[in-house]
Amino acid sequence: MADVTEKSTPTAAAESGQQQGRRRLDPKRVLAALGPGMVAALAGADAGGVATYSNAGAMFGFGQLWTVPVMCFLLIVVQETAARMGCVTGKGFASLIRERFGVRGSALAMLALLISNTTVTLSEFAGIASGLGLFGVPTYLSVPVAALAIWLLTMSGSYNRIEKILLAISCVFVTYIVAGFMVKPDWAQAAHDTVVPQFANDPRFFSLLVANIGTTIAPWMIFLAQSNVVEKNAREEDIPYQRIDTVTGSVVASIISWFIILVTGHVLFPAGIAVNGAEDAAAALAPLAGPYAQVLFGVGLVGASFLAACVLPGITASAVCEAFGWERGADRSWAEAPTYRGIISAILFVSAAVVLIPNVNLFGIMMLAQVVNGVLLPVLLVCMIVIARDRHIMGAHANGRIWNALTWVTVIAVTVFTVIMFVLQALGF
Amino acid sequence: MIYLSQMLGEPVYDVNGEKIGRVNDLGIATGEVFPRVTALAVEGPGKTPFMISWRKYVGSFDDCEVRLKVVDTDIRFSYLQPDEVLIRRDLLNKQIVDTRGMRVVRVNDLKLSDTSSSQLRLLGAEVGARGILRSLSPHLERIVTRCARALGKPIPERIIAWNYMDLLDRDLSSVKLSVTHKTLDELHPADIADILERLDPRLRGQVFAQLESEQAAEAMAEFDDDAMAAEIMGDMEESEASRMLSEMDPDDAAELVSELDYEKAEKLLRLMGVKERKAIRQLLGYRENTAGRIMTSEALIMDEGATVGDAVERLRNLDDDFETVHYVYLKDDEKRLSGIVTLQRLVKAEPDERLSDISIEDELITANPDDDQEDVAENIAKYNLLAMPVVDDNGVLLGIVTVDDALDVLEEEHAEDLQIAGGSTDGDQSGNGHDLMWLLRRNAWFFIWMLGAVVMAIVTLGRVSLESVLLASAGLPIALIVADDSITYVTNFFLENDPDDEDSPSLAGFAVRSLGIGLVFALLVLLMLMVFNTIVRTQYGMGSISSSLTYGFIAAAASTLASFATAPIYLHILHRRDEQNKETSGFSLSLVAMFVALAVFAVVCYVVARIVMV
Repeated sequence: MADVTEKSTPTAAAESGQQQGRRRLDPKRVLAALGPGMVAALAGADAGGVATYSNAGAMFGFGQLWTVPVMCFLLIVVQETAARMGCVTGKGFASLIRERFGVRGSALAMLALLISNTTVTLSEFAGIASGLGLFGVPTYLSVPVAALAIWLLTMSGSYNRIEKILLAISCVFVTYIVAGFMVKPDWAQAAHDTVVPQFANDPRFFSLLVANIGTTIAPWMIFLAQSNVVEKNAREEDIPYQRIDTVTGSVVASIISWFIILVTGHVLFPAGIAVNGAEDAAAALAPLAGPYAQVLFGVGLVGASFLAACVLPGITASAVCEAFGWERGADRSWAEAPTYRGIISAILFVSAAVVLIPNVNLFGIMMLAQVVNGVLLPVLLVCMIVIARDRHIMGAHANGRIWNALTWVTVIAVTVFTVIMFVLQALGF
Repeated sequence: MIYLSQMLGEPVYDVNGEKIGRVNDLGIATGEVFPRVTALAVEGPGKTPFMISWRKYVGSFDDCEVRLKVVDTDIRFSYLQPDEVLIRRDLLNKQIVDTRGMRVVRVNDLKLSDTSSSQLRLLGAEVGARGILRSLSPHLERIVTRCARALGKPIPERIIAWNYMDLLDRDLSSVKLSVTHKTLDELHPADIADILERLDPRLRGQVFAQLESEQAAEAMAEFDDDAMAAEIMGDMEESEASRMLSEMDPDDAAELVSELDYEKAEKLLRLMGVKERKAIRQLLGYRENTAGRIMTSEALIMDEGATVGDAVERLRNLDDDFETVHYVYLKDDEKRLSGIVTLQRLVKAEPDERLSDISIEDELITANPDDDQEDVAENIAKYNLLAMPVVDDNGVLLGIVTVDDALDVLEEEHAEDLQIAGGSTDGDQSGNGHDLMWLLRRNAWFFIWMLGAVVMAIVTLGRVSLESVLLASAGLPIALIVADDSITYVTNFFLENDPDDEDSPSLAGFAVRSLGIGLVFALLVLLMLMVFNTIVRTQYGMGSISSSLTYGFIAAAASTLASFATAPIYLHILHRRDEQNKETSGFSLSLVAMFVALAVFAVVCYVVARIVMV
């Protein structure tokens, strides 16, 4: 610094400031980068997530707590890779898949994404229906109204205006953390079960595992993370900031899911309450909110589901159109972007229609959607690995061996669990 | 016809029928409209492709195999020439710009010429659905196209010829392109801006950097979204950015600079030439939405005494990027604007005529830099001008507002007015979504009515019977529709009257008038109540039905009065926001007014009921 003081012109000072910024992290830029990861994390605690974690706790107590740190780690791996690909290439994941795998590969990947996202949207509608059901609103009223509202919001592009409100509402699930401290669980046991993995010889255990992976590392979150980075036009030098965002978002998401399993495992499991509906899941919050548990749970469930249901069709349609080179974006009219708008409308219509089937088990749908998500996840993860380790595309930021191995572990784990799940079910356990 | 999707992966045999590998890619020479295939990339057993010359080695080919005319051992590898492009690597699956259709598209397949001659040429890129289907499976394409034809809607091939392609990913500026090759650079700047707006931010920056600086500057001025333009500018090298600003018309540059953050703007201005910087700074000195802000200082000013010949000489020597000249402005000895000569008169006059002799005789129509841009635009339309001179208080010419800028202003103001009047700003975007939106907006009162009834029913649950609440809320639609109307009244008044106009009514006058209307309306509602009550009582006698109805209608009357009494507040808000140049939507104003009316209605209903009960 000594030589700088001699000719400390403003520009020289600014330059030295910039160089420092390159070496050390600039707190302002850290704050600026935070956000997309948080959104993804909070939207991740959607209907399917809450249903899966509640079920995990209710059925197996602390038995699946160990999955949380593992999932957190894998989530970081996947999301970090997505953000890094966005930073390096400036292109969306769908674009990269198309350019690397051609028409056939991208058709397969997009089909997987389309199915998985439609089922997740379906589960969001189920979440809205069962959440509003707690307030006595019947399904045949809540679902069409919600579908119409979401359709109008996404079509007119005015979704962004209410995004913050929905985000605030979905923060309701943070109350699980408070509830976790209030119910005074056996912390030692919880800590032990978090570290030591255990399995149960039960097909439901494995389907829950697959669902758990599917809801934590949802395919749509990969696309969302990468497109956020691309929209912000983050560059290679922004990668450290993106990493901070990814890690904080993933950790927050995991803490919430850990507490959901903890609370439901402590409150519902010993009582032998199976989570068959929103009332059962809401019962876990009773120690905290007493008679208001249902209101609290209902509001959170509806908010989070609504948020995710607004985001999902758009992400899907955008990815498909990006892969096949069709016009996309909320500011394009029907005439300009018929496919984009068509896909959004179709997803919303199909999801709403399925939820409206009489006597359908809403919580069952939420769980099933996460299983589908988990089963289809490997297709997209394989695409991701191949692209992320390609030095022609990623240059110096290509995946290292450890990252590759970890992603492969996720792929293989999901596949193995899926196979076990199907085999156990086929054997009729 | 043969397609790249069919050729890729086909086996390559040498003259003895020995298989040496598979087709991996084709190289083309870029200098022609239908470029010749010059190189064949073969993926051998070693997985690494190698290139050989097409002309020298390829004997025959079709869509299932390629046969070479030499033996395996005689092949010499070649390298990619600078003017060659690999069509799989650089084109297939990539985004390109269709410079004729002016869109960004993705290449689904590449169409190659007939197999009959030994020469293979690239006919163009397939960007339509058929390319996707064919790449999935040629059978699928056949089935789908046949079905489509049977249904009477054949799917045409959408082919873009090489000379209408502009590659985005690969910079072709080093490649010598054919004379007829139309690149992005040659499009109109407005079209370039349209195309750029559809790209991802990174690609947008890269493509922008490839444009020639003059085109880039003009395209920058054409962006609909100033924030997007500012973002591109923020990503550019500072010296580059400041050079671009210098090349833009000063008024466009000023608009852009005002979008940048202060530090960046100052830095760029400091790097610019003195003259341009001064022009931009001067423009930035004027308030937003005034004539000063949108004028350009590039006007042709001559001395009164000069001759036509002098003026023509000056015109000839102007820079190419000088604002289009429609008028020559004359100044007197004290530099005041003293006359205007149209281009037509200038051309018709003899070279030695004095400019002051052929100048317009009528009174000069000028604007002040602080004038509202809308007024200036309207005057340009009114007096059929191509440019309006802007003069300071001493009459010295500062610049001109040209008709193209005036049109932009009118369009902008029209959109704002529409929005205040409760319409939609994006009028060209018709579609089901917008129709429904329109229905929702027009009938918002209905939904608020429902909501209000439900809320009141829930709040009073257990204390008041449900039917009396519902009966009372029968008066609510009146309150809501009147609230909606009061906003229409306010916005109409706002759009018709300019607060700066001397003969427009004052706020107090408006308040008195709207209060009067509110009173009349409220009395009407009460009158209706009396009629209702007479009928109901003769039918059902005194009772809860009639009293609930009464409460509702009294509340409706009160809320009606309140809606019109508060109208001046909304007018004030509109004026305030207009001064701050904020956009206001008439719909949100209506919503606010209706919710206020709902609140007033509920409170009055409650109070009246309590008083009666006591």
